[in-house]
Amino acid sequence: MEAAGHAQPQAVPGPAPRRESAAGRIVRTLTKAPLNIILVLIALLWLVPTFGLFLTSLMPGDLVGGQGWWTVVSEPSLATLENYSELIQNETITSALSTTLIVAIGGTVIPILIAASAAYAFAWLDFPGRDWLFLLVIAMLVVPLQMALIPMFKIYNTVGLFDTVWALILYHSAFALPFAIFLLRNFFIGIPRDLLESARIDGASELRIFVRLILPLGLPAIASLAIFQFLWTWNDFLIGLVFGGETQVITVAIFSQFRQFGANLDLIAPAAFVSLAVPLIVFFAFQRYFVQGLLAGSVK
Amino acid sequence: MRSAKVLALLIAALALLAAGCGGDDDDGDNGDGAAQEEEISGNVSIMGVWTGEEAASFEAVLDGFAEQQPDVTVNYNPVGDEIPTVLATRVEGGNPPDVATAPQPGLVSDFHDQGVLQSLDFAAEEIESNFTEGAYDFATFDGEIFGFLFKAANKSTVWYNVALFEQAGVEPPETFEDFLEVAQTLRASGTQAYSIGADVGWPLTDIFENIYLRQAGPEMYDQLADGEIPWDDQSVKDALETMAEIVGDTDNLVGGTSGAVQTDFPTSVQNAFKEDPDAAMVLEGDFVGGEILASTPSQPVEDFDVFDFPSVEGSEPMVVGGGDTMIMFNDTPAAQALIRYLATPEAAEIWAERGGFSSANRNIDTGVFPDEISERTATALAEAEVFRFDLSDLQPAAFGATVGQGLWQEFIEFLRNPDDVDGAAERMQQEAERRGPGS
Amino acid sequence: MATPERPPQARPSFWRRHRTTLAFLAPAALFLGIWIVYPTIYTIVRSLFDRSGSEFVGLSNYEQIFTTDLLVTAIKNNALWLAVVPALVTAIGLVFGVLIERIRWSVAFRLAVFMPMAISLFAAGVIWRLMDEKDPERGAINAGIAAVADAFDPRGALSGAEPSSDDVAGSPDRGLSFDQPVEQGDVVPLGLTAVAADDIPEDAEEAREPEALADGITGVVWRDFTPELEGGGEPGVVERGEVGLPDVIVELRDQDGAAIETVETEANGTFAFEQVEAGTYEVAVGPTTFEEPFAGVEWLGPSLITPAIMIAYIWVWAGFAMVVIGAGLAALPRDVLEAARTDGATELQVFRRVTVPLLRPVLIVVFVTMLINVLKVFDIVLSVAPGPVQSDANVIALAMWRTAFGGVNDFGLGSAIAVFLFVLVVPLLAFNIRNFRREV
Repeated sequence: MEAAGHAQPQAVPGPAPRRESAAGRIVRTLTKAPLNIILVLIALLWLVPTFGLFLTSLMPGDLVGGQGWWTVVSEPSLATLENYSELIQNETITSALSTTLIVAIGGTVIPILIAASAAYAFAWLDFPGRDWLFLLVIAMLVVPLQMALIPMFKIYNTVGLFDTVWALILYHSAFALPFAIFLLRNFFIGIPRDLLESARIDGASELRIFVRLILPLGLPAIASLAIFQFLWTWNDFLIGLVFGGETQVITVAIFSQFRQFGANLDLIAPAAFVSLAVPLIVFFAFQRYFVQGLLAGSVK
Repeated sequence: MRSAKVLALLIAALALLAAGCGGDDDDGDNGDGAAQEEEISGNVSIMGVWTGEEAASFEAVLDGFAEQQPDVTVNYNPVGDEIPTVLATRVEGGNPPDVATAPQPGLVSDFHDQGVLQSLDFAAEEIESNFTEGAYDFATFDGEIFGFLFKAANKSTVWYNVALFEQAGVEPPETFEDFLEVAQTLRASGTQAYSIGADVGWPLTDIFENIYLRQAGPEMYDQLADGEIPWDDQSVKDALETMAEIVGDTDNLVGGTSGAVQTDFPTSVQNAFKEDPDAAMVLEGDFVGGEILASTPSQPVEDFDVFDFPSVEGSEPMVVGGGDTMIMFNDTPAAQALIRYLATPEAAEIWAERGGFSSANRNIDTGVFPDEISERTATALAEAEVFRFDLSDLQPAAFGATVGQGLWQEFIEFLRNPDDVDGAAERMQQEAERRGPGS
Repeated sequence: MATPERPPQARPSFWRRHRTTLAFLAPAALFLGIWIVYPTIYTIVRSLFDRSGSEFVGLSNYEQIFTTDLLVTAIKNNALWLAVVPALVTAIGLVFGVLIERIRWSVAFRLAVFMPMAISLFAAGVIWRLMDEKDPERGAINAGIAAVADAFDPRGALSGAEPSSDDVAGSPDRGLSFDQPVEQGDVVPLGLTAVAADDIPEDAEEAREPEALADGITGVVWRDFTPELEGGGEPGVVERGEVGLPDVIVELRDQDGAAIETVETEANGTFAFEQVEAGTYEVAVGPTTFEEPFAGVEWLGPSLITPAIMIAYIWVWAGFAMVVIGAGLAALPRDVLEAARTDGATELQVFRRVTVPLLRPVLIVVFVTMLINVLKVFDIVLSVAPGPVQSDANVIALAMWRTAFGGVNDFGLGSAIAVFLFVLVVPLLAFNIRNFRREV
């Protein structure tokens, strides 16, 4: 922390004084002010569209199309929670929320476990054709998910998986793998070699090394992967629509409330926020794993 | 471990796959028309475009069926606009629903060509006695009926803002000349006349079809639909000239040409009926009414109203319609019973009473419509001297109903450059040769 | 099953040696085999058949890709996406990642940038379509520009008004003027139509044709329209029920067109230039009165659509890059950075010489992921671009989607496009091979 305090382009090289004077602290805050201001502006810029969507979600359906969302700021009386209460009272939506939670958790945990073990093999185990196989995995990244719809539908249909949560979980899991393996392998390879070597010399089995060493060390990567995978699964529409049938996920359930030919903004906007809530909770839960230093301390 | 469980499941799944699939043959059944009251049991799965309110109304229609056939369970799966994708996937994957609705007739002929549709001839009597010809003609192949229009839309309507008409001192016109004059007067009164949602192109093809049907007549219309008249025919050019009097009046178009091509259909409706409206008229079908109620504060009759698409060169009342077609993929007794039921006026009346429904069923009791406006548009449809299915929808989807190509795109190009009638007609013909019927 | 008996040769020990490896790889192999390899093979085979899948057509689907203009724009756009977006997203992620290490509220910042990732692409498309709307009353971006533009160049009181008859001529830079030269004693009727009812001031009175003045020029500016008369009344004639337009600034111009005197109209629309010297003049209402409000930038028009979609896409994915790179930064050995700093390196030097090289594997992950994602981009194009410009914004994956599912339902051609997309990755793979060689 202390060192970061001097993280300005320094004119004078050489050791900085250990203790700061009050004046020094003021100077430091002042020199940091531009950075803070710029970052605040960027953050606001990034929030504008989301904020706009939020205000739109508060506007009654018969006004949404007529005027810009910013009019709510000057006329707060326009805002209403009606869109939300209608959405939440809707049983299809609430039951779809729990289905989606199951699918998203399954579709996150399974591929990460499988990918972590494969990534470990690609990073630290020696076997012939390793690099080529890994390239094949990267190549699979590009296979568009839509192209598997028809062949997989045939298989699901034959084995009776159609219209089950497993149909969705397994599909998401499989398509998450190439990216997950790719990401984790590139993280695992950064783990200092001597840590592994010494564990191997101590006679630890590969499984033990994987569980006790690799997984904990890879936690930041696994955590970020988990959150993205959770989001992608959570927000999926196409797979849920094609393989779900009666098993509706949230996006499909919302979609099934749409009016034909309609703009449906009064449904889309609040729905986007209802379904945003869960991923944000997940983000906060995982947030501490992103925080720098946590890991750096645990390695030593 | 979790993954172990999944693995076991997968291996079991693979084993099942390897074991192959036992085909399920249907016993050939020869149901004749009289078998209607026969007790049948079983399941029917039906997939439809209708979601939200409309899905609830359709469920009510299905409740009526459950009273007649208590042993048949019907599962309705609302899919919405993505239905072509979902249907195509399930057909290609070998597990289509028993019954489905097709939002475009192009889809019906596609599926018929693939040989996956079942004939509805067992219900031919009901369909022919209840519906105008235009409602099943397009789904009849080699004399066999494969579908009928269950929910119809009257696309020959013009919706107008009552207050703006009053401000301009104009009345709903009956002829095309009066219509153009009304538009000029509206402009002089300080509002724009037309709001067109041309971002995709179908509202434009609908305007063209209404003009062509009236100007060239129903026979020519059928021939153009069947590809017997080329798109660079003089009759098409004449209709485009007439259409240019509307779309070429760019000062009278909300947002001008460039605005119109970015406006989607819901926005075009809001433009004319929101609190501070920009335009007085929307030239689209009866579904505009529902959208006005849902997305603007306007109230029927008081704030918005509707008139029939004006007569061109003295044409008699004609209706261009669209809608959702019932088709059947699996021929089971239960599915047959459902199809028969859906062809009855009783089934249509249940939905008509709930609102937002028009039908090409001639025998429907027009008294059941919940309000004056929907009664008017629905009656116009059921009683039209001439009813023709939306021409662009009758084309192969790639030519008539696909974003960014074919007719939709060519009409957008025409909107951008309404002076070039000949060029537009020629480009349409080129597109027709490339993707049109028989290409 | 194998017994502990020793194998006769050394060869079979391959399986024994790699038993552990296999155990680590098997689950992934199973999943990838069923869900990705099998469908890929299916797709390749399917691409050799016609649209219904019943007839073998050889390579004709591929021929169609290259002989029609189906993919020309798509390939161009994809190239643009590949050139711009991955590098930009990675750079933004890196800069954000490094900068937020120095602020106290980094959690809040992360949350702000991360939020778009949590919104479904469908909703993201909807919101950007709203943001980008041309009409400044609806589109936030244009509303922002309009607020600035209209402050410098305000909307006129009678914007959109037009001459009611040929007696009045209009041009954008000269305003509306009476068509003939005017002399002492003339009465000038300046009739306007297309005046919105809302633009009429409340104190406006019924229009009246003024009396002529012997040595002056009089006239009236009025709304030459009344709903009470058929067709709005006769053009160019002041009629009962038509209102005058008050507070309009009327200019008297000399023969060179320079304004020599101005007056404001009365409540009934009349104006008078008293005491005018003999000669011919022009009477006009200046252009500022008719100034149109800022009409908005066409973000969703054909020329700006791809940049507009790219902005939306970067908005979504910057959070991804920031979080992944942030995780990489967290894992960096602190002591190396500290050592560099105590050696007197500037922050910029530390960043370039230490941070970036150490982060290389992670940056490659982000960059390659974005390359591939960008190659596959389609849903945001579908949801942001309005129909007519979708062909201008077309990308390969969108072309595939539309061909296979979006109404055309030609799985043969769609499969061929998918295979083509797959083939495009080969250069990316070659690029990667070089990197791996260096790394391993």
